[in-house]
Amino acid sequence: MSVALEGVSKAFPGRQVLDAFSLRIEPGELVALVGASGCGKTTILNLLAGLERPDAGTVRVAGEDGAPLRLGVVFQQPRLLDWASVRENVALASRDTAVAERMLREVGLGEHLDAFPTTLSGGQRQRAAVARAFSIDPELVLLDEPFSALDELTARRLRVQLQQLWLDRPRTGVLVTHNPLEAAFLADRIYVLGSRPARIVAEHVVTAPRPRSPEDEEFFRLHASIVAAL
Amino acid sequence: MSSALAEVRPAGRAPRPRARRPAASTVLGPVVLVLALAGGWQLMASLSDSTLLPDVGEVASAVGTILENGALSALRTTIVRVLLGFSLAFAVAIAAGLLMARSTWARAVLEPAVLIGLTVPGLVWALLAVIWFGLAQTGPVLAVALSAAPALVLNVYQGARAVDPGLIEMAHVFRFNRRVRLTRLWLPALVPFLLSGARLGLSLSWKVIVLVEMFGASEGVGYELNTAFSNQDVAGVLAWTIVFGAAMALIEYGLLRTVERRVTRWRKEAIV
Repeated sequence: MSVALEGVSKAFPGRQVLDAFSLRIEPGELVALVGASGCGKTTILNLLAGLERPDAGTVRVAGEDGAPLRLGVVFQQPRLLDWASVRENVALASRDTAVAERMLREVGLGEHLDAFPTTLSGGQRQRAAVARAFSIDPELVLLDEPFSALDELTARRLRVQLQQLWLDRPRTGVLVTHNPLEAAFLADRIYVLGSRPARIVAEHVVTAPRPRSPEDEEFFRLHASIVAAL
Repeated sequence: MSSALAEVRPAGRAPRPRARRPAASTVLGPVVLVLALAGGWQLMASLSDSTLLPDVGEVASAVGTILENGALSALRTTIVRVLLGFSLAFAVAIAAGLLMARSTWARAVLEPAVLIGLTVPGLVWALLAVIWFGLAQTGPVLAVALSAAPALVLNVYQGARAVDPGLIEMAHVFRFNRRVRLTRLWLPALVPFLLSGARLGLSLSWKVIVLVEMFGASEGVGYELNTAFSNQDVAGVLAWTIVFGAAMALIEYGLLRTVERRVTRWRKEAIV
């Protein structure tokens, strides 16, 4: 499997977001990209997801045989179809209702299979989005600020749940976040990004074994050094 | 700070549904309207005492007469023409509207066509359709389709532009195929726009179909109106108008409202 940006440049009207930026994701690692708002981390994720094309350079997201990877993406907003039940929302991605139901039970939405997204809380909706991403048995999971729109207590519960999903079925993943503690709790490796254009200003390897506790002191030390790097 | 005011809006994306009106006013409102109109008419008729203003009793008996003498068959003919033409316009509008929203070329070509189509009077469509396609089924159906399509296309186009780009990205990432994207993303997102387009398109269709049928069709509501007009039968003209209007109202309330309730079920449940 090869997941990498090589010398990628990307500009939006009026600003150069990436300039010859390179990044390599090791298979099996969950990598967190931490940076301030507008530093280009979501652009990096969109390039990996195939939602943006680079102006220059190469984006590589492929298996050993060159085939495209199955991508499970969790966006900042749940991005569910309001007119479809939670079950159908997940099943449209997984193309398998039984798998959809199993994933939804796993994230604690077993009681809400027939509910419309608009009847659920923000945390429940985001859990459905996580279930959708994992229901396709993804080879690469992309998480774009997945919990930043939630209140801290809910976000914390979802982080613990995500860690459990990762323990049950280890994947390669990229997590974009502006929250250093979230990065430290979830990731194997953290790249701290500087802005305009984005560049890697620091790299941390998180060695704490899973399952981790959000209160682990190592995270707070990491938090301090990430903030210092920013 | 001004942002504090903006925060008051609920976070959900769906607009808050209107509060349910009490059932009494829903049922009695139209009755009050009809009684007021009939009363006003009766007053006018008795004050003017002219044969050109038949009173309510005469109009009512004319309604009775046409209902006994095959009004339903004329209504059926006209309604079938409208529904055929309207379905044609609907299908074309969904295709053209989506195309306009997705392709700058299609937009550049079709936008002027839609704007011109909107300004062409229904009478012109009626004349041209009759000249080119005759008075059998094709002419009337095409006249209806041509007059309803521009408004529908515009609605579909605006609806398609309003679809959340985040959902389009989501469908792309999870590799929804074309059919799923159309039936589970685009069409449901377009429903409110399709319904308002359907209302507008249907109201234009009724007007045009009567014109076409007046030009010389041998059946249908327009033909019957023309006959009554030729016989200087004012009560007959009014009676046909009333019967036709009632049938249209039935379709609007009975059919469109039912469809609307069904397809926007998820909105209703959101307030529980």
